[in-house]
Amino acid sequence: MSILSRLLPPGRRHALPLILFMAVGFAAPLFAVIAYSFVPARTFDLWADWSFDNYLEVFNSTSYIAFGWSLGLAAATVLILALVCYPVAFGLARVFGKWATLITLLFTLPLFVSENVRLYGWIMVFIKNGVLLGTLKSLFGWEPDSIVFTPELTLLGMVYVYLPFMLFPMTLGVSMVPQQTRDAAYDLGASRWQVFREVDLPLSMPGIVIGFLLTFVLAVGAIAEAKVLGGQRIIPIANDIEVAFTYAQNWPLGSALAVLLMLLVGFLVLIVLRRFDLDTILGRR
Amino acid sequence: MSYFKQTRRDFLKHSALAAGGLAAGGLTGLGAASARSNELNILCWEGYNSAQVLDPFRSEHGITIRAESLTNDPTMINRLRAGETNVWDLINVNNPWARKIMYPEGLIKPIDRARFEPYFDKMLPEFKAPYKWAMDEKGEQLLGMAQRFGPFSYVVNTDKISRATAEDQGWDLWNDPANAGKYGVQASDDWNVFDICCIAGFDPFKEHSDEEVAKFTETAAKVFKGAKMVSDLATLNQGLVSGEIDFYLTGGTYTASPARADGALNIRAITPLRGPFADGKAGISWIEITSVVNNPDISTHAENFLEYVQSPEMSHTVAFAEGTFNPVTQMGNKACFDLFTKEELDIIQWDSLEEEMARCVEYDIVPDYDKLLDIMTAAKREASGG
Repeated sequence: MSILSRLLPPGRRHALPLILFMAVGFAAPLFAVIAYSFVPARTFDLWADWSFDNYLEVFNSTSYIAFGWSLGLAAATVLILALVCYPVAFGLARVFGKWATLITLLFTLPLFVSENVRLYGWIMVFIKNGVLLGTLKSLFGWEPDSIVFTPELTLLGMVYVYLPFMLFPMTLGVSMVPQQTRDAAYDLGASRWQVFREVDLPLSMPGIVIGFLLTFVLAVGAIAEAKVLGGQRIIPIANDIEVAFTYAQNWPLGSALAVLLMLLVGFLVLIVLRRFDLDTILGRR
Repeated sequence: MSYFKQTRRDFLKHSALAAGGLAAGGLTGLGAASARSNELNILCWEGYNSAQVLDPFRSEHGITIRAESLTNDPTMINRLRAGETNVWDLINVNNPWARKIMYPEGLIKPIDRARFEPYFDKMLPEFKAPYKWAMDEKGEQLLGMAQRFGPFSYVVNTDKISRATAEDQGWDLWNDPANAGKYGVQASDDWNVFDICCIAGFDPFKEHSDEEVAKFTETAAKVFKGAKMVSDLATLNQGLVSGEIDFYLTGGTYTASPARADGALNIRAITPLRGPFADGKAGISWIEITSVVNNPDISTHAENFLEYVQSPEMSHTVAFAEGTFNPVTQMGNKACFDLFTKEELDIIQWDSLEEEMARCVEYDIVPDYDKLLDIMTAAKREASGG
C-alpha cells in the first residue's frame, strides 16, 4: 500500500473536494473576520501588530446596549413564537387533515417575497393614516396613537419574519409523536393535560429545540426589522457591525463585534444543547 | 487630515485568504476579465446603474456593462483602496473625493482636458471650466465630469412648517425642545455628522476644538433622543406624507424628489437662511464627479461613457433615472433644459435652486470625521437605551 493511500484512504480522498470547498467557502471568511478583529482600528493590514484593543474598545463602549437589544428581542421572539407556533404545529400535524398542505403553503408563500418588501408592507398598515389607522379614522372617527417606529413593532416584525423557521421544525417534531403512544396514554387514564405534558411535549422536543435554536440564531442577527419597523429607535448589534463596516470603515472593530456576537450566541446554544442533547432526544443513544 | 489611516494597497497582496471570502460577490471574476474592450464596470450612486442610462450604450457598443450602486462615498473609495482599481473603470462619488483623496492616492487618473472641457462651458454658470472640484489641487489636471448636484440640508412638510419658517429657524429646528418627537433622521451617517455640527453651531469641514467636540457630543445625544425615527429616504418621505413626522434631517432635492414626483409637492427640501459657515453660507450642497479609475487594464469605453452622458438627452435621462431625481449641470444648455417638463422642474425645485445653491457651502472632507462618527454612533445607540 502506498504512503499516499495510507495517508489518504478512499473515504478521505473522496471527501477532499468537499473539505476544500468548506475550507475556502466557510472557514476562510470566518478566520478572516477573526484575524481582522485583532489588527489596529481602521486599518486593513492583516499583518500589522495584533492586539486586543478592538475588544477593549467594545468593552469600554456602550455596545452592551446593542447586544442587550439583540439578545432580548431574539429571546422574546423565540418565546412568542413558541406560544404561537405550537398550537398551529399541532393542528398541521393532527387536526387540519387534507387542509394541512394548503395551510402550510400559506405560511410558506411570504418567504418568496423579499423581507424588506414585507416589512414595508407592515409600515403601510400601521403608519398614521395608513391601512389600519386610516380605516379606523374614516369608519369610526377614532385616531389612536401610531405604533410604528417603536420596539414593540420591531418585535412584531421579528415574530412575523421568523415564524416559518419555528413553525416547520416544530410541526416535524409534533408529527414525530406516535399516535399509538398518545392512545396508550389515554387508555391508561391520562388526562389531556397529562398527555400533552408527558407524551406530546417530551417526544416533540427535538423539533421544538431545533425551532428554538434556528429562530434565536437568526433573530439575534436581525437588522431589517429594527431599521424599517423600529425606525432605529433601538439599535441592534447587527446595526453597529454594519456601521463599522460601511460609514466608519473600521473593519477591525466590526470584526471584533461580530466575533463577540458569535461567541455569545455559540455559548448560549451550547448551554441549550447541554440541557437538551439532540441525539438523546432523537433516540440515537 | 485623513479619514483612514490604513495602508491598504498591500491588502490583497498579503491576504489572499481574506480576499477569497470578502470578494465572494463575483467581483474577482470581473477583475480577471481580459477583454477590456468588451466591458465596462461602473461604481456609482443609484441612477447611473439604471437600464435607461445603460441600455442605449450597451446596444450601441455591444458590450457588457456592470454598474454597482452604493449609497455612501467612504465605502466606494475603500473598495478602490482595497485593490478593486483593477475591477472598476468609472467611479461616481461626491465632489471632494476626486481632488482631495482619490487623485493624490493614485486611485483615479486624469481625463483629456481638450476633449472634455468644452462640455463644462455648456453647463450652468457655476460649473464653467476650470471647475474647482473637477480639477486637481494644482488646477492642472481634469479629474472627472460634474453632472448631478443639489442642496442637501433638511426636508419639511410645508403643511406643518412653512418654507419661510423652516428657512428662518434653520438648524435651530433641532435645538427647539418643543420639536422632540416631530422629526426623523436619515440613516446617512456621514451627512448626519455634517448636520449635527451645523446644529451645534460650527463648520463641520475643519478640525474641531475640544469644546466643539463636547458640543457635538451633547448635540448628537439630543438629536437622536428626540428623533421619532431614523430611516431611509422612502420611509422618511412616507412619514412626512402620513403625518408621523413634520421634518427630517439630512435631506435635499435628492431625497424629497420621489415624494414630490408622487404629487406630494408639500414635501420640500429647505436650505436655511443662516448657518455656521463663513460668508453667510448656511446649508451644504453636493456635486457628483465621475472619474476614470486608475485601472491598469482600463476599459476602452470608460471615457466614451463619460462623453455619452453629457448629451442633452442622456443628461435629462440621468436627472430622471429611477429612484431619485436631481438637477444636472447640463441644464445650463438650453437644448438640455428644454427637455424638462414643468412637472419635472417642480419635482427638483428649480424655482429656488439657484438661490439655495448660493446659500450652500460645498460638501468637503471632515478632518476629524472618524472621531465625530464614533461619537454619533454611540449617541444613536445610547438614545436607544431608554
